[in-house]
Amino acid sequence: MKLRFAAAFAVVVLLGASAFAHRLDEYLQATILSVEKDHVEGSMRLIPGVAVSSMVIGSIDTNADGIISETEGQAYARRVISELSLIIDGNPSKPRIVSIAFPTVAEMREGVGEIHFEFVADLPAGGSERKLVFENHHQERIAAYLVNCLVPRDKGIQVVAQKRNENQSFYELDYQVSGADSPTLSHHWWPNLLRSTGAVGFGSIFRLGMRHIAEGTDHLLFLLALLLPAPLLVIGWRWGGFAGTRHAVLQILKVVTAFTVGHSLTLALAAWGWVHVPSRPIEVLIAISILVSAVHALRPLFPGREAAVAGFFGLIHGLAFAATLGQLGLGRWERLGSILAFNLGIETMQLIVVGAIMPSLLLMSSTRAYPSLRVSGGLFAGFAALGWIVERLLGVSNTIDAVVETIARHAVWIAAVLFLMSIVCWLLRKDGVAEFTADPLD
Amino acid sequence: MNPFWMRTAGAVCALALVCSWFTVGGHTSTATSRVVSAANTFLSTLDEKQRQGVMFPFNDDKQRANWSNLPVTMVPRGGLSLKELNSSQRAAAMAVVAAALSPKGYEKVQEIVEGDELLKASSGNNPMFGKDLYYISFVGKPSENDPWMLQFGGHHLALNVTIAGDQGILTPTLDGAQPALYTINGKTVRPLGQESDKALALLNALDESQRKQAILSYQLADLVLGPGQDGKTIQPEGLKAAAMNDRERAMLLDVISEWANIAQESTAAARMGELKADINETWFAWSGPVTATPGHNITAYYRIQGPHVVIEYAPQKLGGDPSMHVHAMYRDPTNDYGRGVNKK
Repeated sequence: MKLRFAAAFAVVVLLGASAFAHRLDEYLQATILSVEKDHVEGSMRLIPGVAVSSMVIGSIDTNADGIISETEGQAYARRVISELSLIIDGNPSKPRIVSIAFPTVAEMREGVGEIHFEFVADLPAGGSERKLVFENHHQERIAAYLVNCLVPRDKGIQVVAQKRNENQSFYELDYQVSGADSPTLSHHWWPNLLRSTGAVGFGSIFRLGMRHIAEGTDHLLFLLALLLPAPLLVIGWRWGGFAGTRHAVLQILKVVTAFTVGHSLTLALAAWGWVHVPSRPIEVLIAISILVSAVHALRPLFPGREAAVAGFFGLIHGLAFAATLGQLGLGRWERLGSILAFNLGIETMQLIVVGAIMPSLLLMSSTRAYPSLRVSGGLFAGFAALGWIVERLLGVSNTIDAVVETIARHAVWIAAVLFLMSIVCWLLRKDGVAEFTADPLD
Repeated sequence: MNPFWMRTAGAVCALALVCSWFTVGGHTSTATSRVVSAANTFLSTLDEKQRQGVMFPFNDDKQRANWSNLPVTMVPRGGLSLKELNSSQRAAAMAVVAAALSPKGYEKVQEIVEGDELLKASSGNNPMFGKDLYYISFVGKPSENDPWMLQFGGHHLALNVTIAGDQGILTPTLDGAQPALYTINGKTVRPLGQESDKALALLNALDESQRKQAILSYQLADLVLGPGQDGKTIQPEGLKAAAMNDRERAMLLDVISEWANIAQESTAAARMGELKADINETWFAWSGPVTATPGHNITAYYRIQGPHVVIEYAPQKLGGDPSMHVHAMYRDPTNDYGRGVNKK
């Protein structure tokens, strides 16, 4: 085939003024880290652009003789290393230079010279979950940083997450070291299932599940709003008094179990790839589910069918859990164990929360204070749900989310205060049923 | 001879003719034999000194890795430049490149080279650029059975085609363009236009939560695994295709095909089969603006990484408009330079 060059050019060149072919006004600094169990290796390439090369050369070739001597090279390497910071699990580790290579000054002037440094830093023994923070502040004003890590050679090291700031001067590597036992990994009668979580590890997915519920305020709010009226009797279209401990406990167990069955089912289906639902409608539906259970806390919408409703909305919440699991990017065979680990994490955290709140609800629901608690709780959940619906449906951000998150951050204290209050109310209570019909909404 | 024997003899002759046609035809039509025969034809047009200049021993790892995005005046390449060849030698050299690539791949190569000629014209006849400054070399002796490598490259181009029997391996290959958009003879050309448009279409097809994963929160000024970074496998990032639907996965594969299909068709088909098989383990990551001026390339960086592929698309600020200047890299961490095949 003949090239078309011979033809006379009828050319419109859409090109900027500059036609240089190399880096211009940046100092490219690319670092690749390689993590081993007891040390980390770093490989740095430093490439000054043409416009900044004389300044960089000036800081290396300090006697300005046009040659980078060994002493000058070493001094510059020490300076670069001193402007790095390497912190493992919160403790600084000092990088040692193991090799230095400089291009010629002429190559650097052209913007094509690459300086190479290799360093190594010791990592003291640590737990199964480790956090390595690498920062580079060398020539930050003109720098273009790149930081990456190699897939660890050691199969016992698995990268969990990488975080960077915008210009990559800050880099955090979260990784997991297997072989260092964590309590959840020691159940030897589950070895295959545990291994099937593959790259991420059973323990970390279990904790992810727990965190998802602990931090997933929307899931908790749905469940709590649904539990608020659980200990109560229904009188017509209103909530009545305490229905008895046996009824209350059974009711709470039924709601929690139904929610669990619902979200486990869809979590498994979605995580296995059998259903795929876009996340936005799911998030909206979750907010709606909170609104429904909030309204139910104010006025019985579906008395006696709380378990069915919890189960139905559980199906929707499960799809959202699956999205979280999907973010881990696990392969098909890693999933079975992951679903189990993640779900166990969710259930555990859910039990902790229900266990922490249930005594307060039971104690307080037989007192006069309960209607106020139920109504204020229901209103709070309702407003939060409305805020989320607006935000998730219309993309209009509002302060609701921030307010709820702030409150949720103090959840432990709120639960403790609630428990103390419920004890006080219970001690001050007057026996008799007639008083309990006092509903703040009337 | 009676009519029966006449007919029988005729039938036998016809059968023999068909058989030999298939044998010979089948033989000459393999992709490898076409490249080898083009390479031998090219070598036969050269004098002894030129032949020595274009050939390197198969174990010459220095020449194997002697490629770059930079102009040849900055990073001298091995082999013979087109400038050193007369017109028939030059045509024979380009025929070797054409035989190793698909028609579409060869067209892309021409567009990159044409772009560099324009860069030369627009930069006051700058001697670092231009269509003459592309080099051809053979690492190892062209052979249908033994492994060897064809290299063709210069500014913004580094084709490294390892040929081992019936296998053709295109990795590592670098392509790039400056200008990334130009008009020649009334025709608008974007050498890496599809690479840009298809990736942006994929990004746009993703839903909000997928985009959140795919879009990295930090800037990427350049290729991470560019020239000189052989043999490294970085931790993948972004959105895993396992979390995509079938349509999105097909779109991702279509982006990848822009590189895989540079190679000659039969080897490209085998390669696409391999990449399709591990599509669920393949990641897509994006950094930078999520829109582009229609008809222009994107100004964002993206990376596609799977067990057998790393693709990076890295717009360059140099020249003022990142949509006009791009470097891209195509690798196979398990088989760059055919190392995975040649080990056996």
